[in-house]
Amino acid sequence: MEESSSYFYPIMKPIFFLAATVAIAPAAPDGKQLFTTNCSACHLLDEMVVGPSLAEIRSIYDGKPDNFVEWTIAPEKKRDGVIEMPSMVHVGEEGLRAIYAHVMNVSKGVKAKKQVEGDPYAASPTHNSYPQVQRMFMPNAGPAAIAISLDKSTSVCWDAGESRFRYAWTGGFIDAYPYWKGNGNEVAKVSGKTRYREDSSPLEMLGERKFLGYKIEAGLPVFRYTAGGLEITEKVSPAGEGESFTRTFTVTPAPTDKLTLDFPSAEEVTYTSDKGTWSKHLLMLNPSEATEFTVTFSLK
Amino acid sequence: MKATVFFTFALMALPAFAWKENFSFETIPNPPGIDPQVGAMDTMKDGRIAVAFHRGEVMIYDPSSSSWSLFASGLHEPLGMLVEDDGSILVMQRPELTRLKDTDSDGSADEYETVFDDFGMSGNYHEFSYGPAKDSQGNLYIVLGVASNGAPMAEEIRGDFSEIGELDRKGMYDKGSWGKNKDKAGRMYSRVPYRGWVLKLSPDGSKVEPFASGFRSPNGIGFDAKGRLLITDNEGDWRPTSPLYEVKEGGFYGHPASLVWKKDWDGKDPLKMDVKEFDAMQQPAAGYFPQGELANSPTWPVVIPKGSFPEGFTSQTLIGEMNQPNLVRVLDDEVGGVFQTALVPVFDGSPLGIGSNRMAFGTDGSLYVGKTALSWPGDKGIMKIKWNGKPFLSLDGIKAVKSGFELRFSEPLDSATLATLAIESHKYKYHADYGSPKVDEKKMDVKSTKLSTDGLTLSVDIGGLKQGYLHHINMSGLRSKSGSKVLGSQAWYQAVKTPQ
Repeated sequence: MEESSSYFYPIMKPIFFLAATVAIAPAAPDGKQLFTTNCSACHLLDEMVVGPSLAEIRSIYDGKPDNFVEWTIAPEKKRDGVIEMPSMVHVGEEGLRAIYAHVMNVSKGVKAKKQVEGDPYAASPTHNSYPQVQRMFMPNAGPAAIAISLDKSTSVCWDAGESRFRYAWTGGFIDAYPYWKGNGNEVAKVSGKTRYREDSSPLEMLGERKFLGYKIEAGLPVFRYTAGGLEITEKVSPAGEGESFTRTFTVTPAPTDKLTLDFPSAEEVTYTSDKGTWSKHLLMLNPSEATEFTVTFSLK
Repeated sequence: MKATVFFTFALMALPAFAWKENFSFETIPNPPGIDPQVGAMDTMKDGRIAVAFHRGEVMIYDPSSSSWSLFASGLHEPLGMLVEDDGSILVMQRPELTRLKDTDSDGSADEYETVFDDFGMSGNYHEFSYGPAKDSQGNLYIVLGVASNGAPMAEEIRGDFSEIGELDRKGMYDKGSWGKNKDKAGRMYSRVPYRGWVLKLSPDGSKVEPFASGFRSPNGIGFDAKGRLLITDNEGDWRPTSPLYEVKEGGFYGHPASLVWKKDWDGKDPLKMDVKEFDAMQQPAAGYFPQGELANSPTWPVVIPKGSFPEGFTSQTLIGEMNQPNLVRVLDDEVGGVFQTALVPVFDGSPLGIGSNRMAFGTDGSLYVGKTALSWPGDKGIMKIKWNGKPFLSLDGIKAVKSGFELRFSEPLDSATLATLAIESHKYKYHADYGSPKVDEKKMDVKSTKLSTDGLTLSVDIGGLKQGYLHHINMSGLRSKSGSKVLGSQAWYQAVKTPQ
């Protein structure tokens, strides 16, 4: 059946070859192949990605193969916000010269695309609605941070790694483009002025905390965590743009003893609450009050 | 007479020379305004496709109306997803495995439940988190990438800090001195718990078991059709080229940074140990993606469902790739109980392009390929690829035999073209350096080729396989009887074990 091809070709199977197993002779290095293997993960022809474009490399190294080889063997950090290139010493000088020739060849007459200034997705609908929750690397917080815009001018940072409130700021939300552009190599920038900060949880005395996640109610997160043997929910809400915010806590089951929350002795904020009594920055609640209460933080 | 035969052949089956003659490639519309870099994808029961994007949105694509709806937002670099039977969606973000639930059935998630977050984060950009893969008992597997010395740790971390290493905590986060210190950190480092590990979680996430170690940048985890846990990793330090592993409990998979979190580890600094110690401990790769030829940064594995490709592809594993304009097909083999594979390009020379990060099959058999770049070369958006039902010539199976290989094809081969078959072999150097050149590269002597009477199975005698070597089989000169080329005409077979 398989002989139909013999119309066109002589029958030749099985086919025997005489060649013995032979080592492949070291040929002259193939600059294009070496480039694909060693460089293409970070360098495009006409556009800066991880490293500069070939067009830009050409503008630096045209006619300077020795400098190119030197740099690729011992690169240094040259640009802000850009990762330092690893040494290409393993390619060998001959290979690097072949890569150089390839780069110069393909980049001839190519113009580098102009770097787009700023965030091309700055108008993204999900990042221009308020309130908004965005998990993000944030300054002055642990790596499992969450940024929340309560309204256009008031925002807070909550830390899922420590299950606690970190800080509040007014004036805007975050500029997360440095993070997104750099793939997490930069933290987001806080847009505005930090107005209030906590260095520990007001519930520190209850013992170890464990984050359980959050629910979304009218766009705002209600954090859930355990503290000691209790389950806490904590909802942060706006209360007057740029002026104040509230935190509503629930505690389950109801504590058997009175509960004291220890807030920082901060000058920049006035505390009030719907339940309990204050002694300076300490809020004391009896067990029935502690099941649900709201603290208002008025920024000065 | 000859002319008649030619004419008949031409009518019956036009020789196929390119993927685009058998598949359509269509870019689906991106959701308006959203950064469309795809971090995770899965298919919902009703055929809609759930997609997680770079900036934290989870959106649902409805193929019947080509429209998008927002399911969740604000996630932190989601890189893995699993749609559950009840419609909730598990998403692996940088800091945790999260279950997104739509409890009020309004079409968007209102509960972001933390399923598991008991692992360390140093704040380093390279600590990506991947998964989950689900086994037949419902256990979930996640895998954690290690940090890169391209940047220090953050001052604040989550989890314990390992004191093992030349740099102390401050040395690891001090930005000012990082330039002179970074080499002391190791090229990739694991100073917080379980970076570089696979963790096995009980179905509800309440119990965790460190399952396997030795991973670097494992941007692909999934079970194959036979229930093997597959993980891909990226070329780099201790990775001579990108590997494919079958991961088993207790295994060490080559990248030593993670070993400091091994139970009863004696406190030795992996950076100061001899490569021979690691080599003796490590489990072999079941396949290798040769750098610059097949894949530089392989991605997620998915199982090919019936009807989406010709029958020979059904239940095989398909893997994405960031840097080369092709996907990769896994041809399984087993020698003496050892799983080993040939890796074959798919859609090479097609309109696919690069950046293929995640894949999902629609209920109609369409393949959705989600693209990303994440600041490396890549792409964005989603390509929908659909088979037009026409058969084509492909290598569908490979089996190592004592003398060489048995290759199984989808269509009868033209025996006159068998002499063009060429096989080379090489191995790699396992070392701390980045990547490896090919070592001991040799042309293999194809002593004979023998075609089965049905023309579908080709036996190739090369005088035996070389254990520990990657065998490159070049089939670009082969033709089917109707004159078609092999689509995916290169195969790289890793002979972990040779048949006796």
